[in-house]
Amino acid sequence: MFLAETNPLNSSELIFPALECIHITGFAVLVGTIGIVDFRLLGLGMRRQSAAEVAKDLAPWTLFGLVLMLFSGPLMFSSDPDMYYLNRSFQIKMILLLLAIIFNYTIHRRVALKGASPPRNALVACVSIALWVGVVFGGIFIAFI
Amino acid sequence: MPLLSFCQWVQSTGFFTALRGSWYVYPIIMSTHLAGIALFGGMILATDLRLLGVAMRRRPVADVVGQLRPLKWVGLLIVATCGILMLGSKAEEYYYNAFFRTKLVILAMIGVHALVFRSSVYRRAAEFDEAGKIPGRAKLAAALSLVLWTCMVIAGRGIGYIEPPLNKIHAQAPWPEPPLTAQCRR
Repeated sequence: MFLAETNPLNSSELIFPALECIHITGFAVLVGTIGIVDFRLLGLGMRRQSAAEVAKDLAPWTLFGLVLMLFSGPLMFSSDPDMYYLNRSFQIKMILLLLAIIFNYTIHRRVALKGASPPRNALVACVSIALWVGVVFGGIFIAFI
Repeated sequence: MPLLSFCQWVQSTGFFTALRGSWYVYPIIMSTHLAGIALFGGMILATDLRLLGVAMRRRPVADVVGQLRPLKWVGLLIVATCGILMLGSKAEEYYYNAFFRTKLVILAMIGVHALVFRSSVYRRAAEFDEAGKIPGRAKLAAALSLVLWTCMVIAGRGIGYIEPPLNKIHAQAPWPEPPLTAQCRR
């Protein structure tokens, strides 16, 4: 399964781009829904709702996006594991991804649901956006280094 | 063809030549394009899913549509700016690229979608809240929006899979023209 030559994913040249499209749509769901909570924490959108309301409404969709990513991402990895494993951008992306997921389901969730002081809300939102944007940058740079 | 020569001129300008020549500027623009898609696409998704009645159901439609609109415009500005920068740096390749042409057609359809549904759906969100029911045309608008934007992603990703027609492209010939003397000898 995890040998590039014998992997059935590599039998058709359409499978990988299809996975990429699922991956892009998936991160729009995942990062987009987290982003709406972040913009609320920054006071830039959805101000008639509380951050807790926005976070609760969107949590199932964030999870749905995460499932799409954890489905398409590892399959793409399996198409050429040696390349990804050794790719510096991929390594950084995986570290940022791990941090982003942990941050999202610990500090980010607590602050969104329970609230904190405005500067603290803003700091958490900025860290969240920075981590997820970092993951996107890490993904794109895989193909360029 | 005037459009083709315009594309060649655009990518030959100093700005776009420098952009194309740097190994890291192009991927930074592409990453920003995709990060914008993530943030901006998520807002489109939230709006459409609310209109379809499957997400944020406890919040008024008008609140979701109205409060995300300015942020969506900012997102569109970021995504479009990065898109134009990428287009300009490889304008001649994009001119021949079937996926890019498809993407422009879808973009035009998104424009038409906005013109058709802005007054009948998006500006009337408050009426849906008063009526307590989302009409069929609003659900149609939301479903079409999801389909069109998903097609934008697919067409966008497809652009990178088409090999540039190097036999037609001369602004960026892969090997230099043979010297004139060699041509004469032949």
